Amino acid sequence: MRLIRVMRKELVEHRRNLLIYTLTVALLLLVQELADAFIVKAVSGIGSGGTTYLTNFIAFLFLGGFIITSSAFSQDMFGRTGQHNWLMLPASQWEKFFAKALLSAIAYPIALTLLFSVASVLIELLALVLFGSPFTPFNPISPYIRKLILHFVATQSLFLLGATYFRKAHFFKTLLAIGVIGIGFAMLTTLFARIAFAPYSSGVFGFHFRIDSYTLWAQNPALHTIKWIYTLLYWVVMPLFCWFVAYLRVKEVEATDAIQ
Amino acid sequence: MIRMQNIRFQYEKRPLFSHLNLDIPKGNIYGMLGVNGAGKTTLLKIISGQLFPNEGTISVLGFNPADRKPNMLEDLFHLPEEFLLPRVRVNEYLDSYAPFYPRFDTDAFHRYCSEFGVDESQHLNTLSYGQKKKFLLSFGLASNTALLILDEPTNGLDIPSKSQFRRTVASAMTDDRTFIISTHQVRDMENLIDPIIIIDSGRVVFNSALDTVSEQFTMQLERVEPDRDSAIFVDKVPGGWMTIRTREPEAEETTVDLETLFNAVVSHPEQFIAFTGGKGGVV
Repeated sequence: MRLIRVMRKELVEHRRNLLIYTLTVALLLLVQELADAFIVKAVSGIGSGGTTYLTNFIAFLFLGGFIITSSAFSQDMFGRTGQHNWLMLPASQWEKFFAKALLSAIAYPIALTLLFSVASVLIELLALVLFGSPFTPFNPISPYIRKLILHFVATQSLFLLGATYFRKAHFFKTLLAIGVIGIGFAMLTTLFARIAFAPYSSGVFGFHFRIDSYTLWAQNPALHTIKWIYTLLYWVVMPLFCWFVAYLRVKEVEATDAIQ
Repeated sequence: MIRMQNIRFQYEKRPLFSHLNLDIPKGNIYGMLGVNGAGKTTLLKIISGQLFPNEGTISVLGFNPADRKPNMLEDLFHLPEEFLLPRVRVNEYLDSYAPFYPRFDTDAFHRYCSEFGVDESQHLNTLSYGQKKKFLLSFGLASNTALLILDEPTNGLDIPSKSQFRRTVASAMTDDRTFIISTHQVRDMENLIDPIIIIDSGRVVFNSALDTVSEQFTMQLERVEPDRDSAIFVDKVPGGWMTIRTREPEAEETTVDLETLFNAVVSHPEQFIAFTGGKGGVV
């Protein structure tokens, strides 16, 4: 299947970078966990384990994942010399797009979870032997991890769109765009609140009321619809919209887009 | 094979092609000549679907190249003048890329690499520019695509490699294949390219087989300065004057000197309007 071939090509060509990234993550976990276990042992005389996995996982999943996603199309869509190979590769536009999209949105969190699981087991064994720390490896099947990964897949779509839309500094420009859009939404929401809750307001944007969330939800069934719409927007509409627009950008890219 | 009609293309506000027409039937090694900035590379990129024309219709292998359909791309190999190779070994590149070309001939690839002296055991990024180019040439020829586009293929090749290039390309040619070689080094391509397409000022000013040229014109080196009014083109060269004249019916045909032909066409395009490929490169 050609999509698999395109994905395989991507992995082979980025193998070296992936290896460096994997080793960096593993080394960071090793140093942090062993240093932590050593300090706790020295101070309290008892071992401690598995304290930094979750924090690091969140950082690498979101920050690392967003940066990787942002640079996924950089050379292939906007590189003066690299673009040629990608455009001329005998595969359809959607195969070229989906290969990168699937690798960054699906394969990356799965691989990172596996890496954390394997690395944590080895590090915990080492900490147990060296400092007598309790064996508390990273738990990849916890519902929280699953939820984090799902949130990553949804939000990563914004960076996928940024990666195809902006011709350089993809990550920072995407962050900036999200910030500007966020401020815009906040202003609209404030304006809406000022109009909707006018009787409770004082001054321009001052409000004097307390919301009892239980009563609010019970007395306003419409809020359930709003929540449902929000859920739909976040989990379905936003990712699909971003993926679709990103695909259109891939489809229309041409040699004049190459700048780097 | 390739049909371009009324193509208009511009880079932002700088027009390059206006009402350009070009027909390229299959089965020849076409030489695309032009001065720097004439638009050769742009035209090749339009043909391979890397640039989209602003106006006009184009068909390559029966496809609109702007769609970049896999069925077209697997039958088209384009070697650009500037390229980037991934940081992989030769065999890894082969494993990754060759499956995309259904008629890829691995034995031929190894043969071409051997002829060009490319060390297949090396990492691609450790090869010199010339070696990389020979590697990509070997790959492109072995891909057995119906259309092979080579943009300045002899740039960066040493003198023995240029001769080898001519031999290897000629040996890889079949009736089902079409090669388009863009170059401004016409001496490197002599005895290889025919027909010739000349691009100048955004137009196709010449598109004809060399035997048609030699049927109508004589080209010769004259020791005595000729009367310029009696010749179509006169060019001072070491040892005399290269002259192009209308061939008399009884006169013997002469070999076409590509450099002289190119200079003549570019300086006097109106004299060669009949050689612009039927409808002409300009409407």
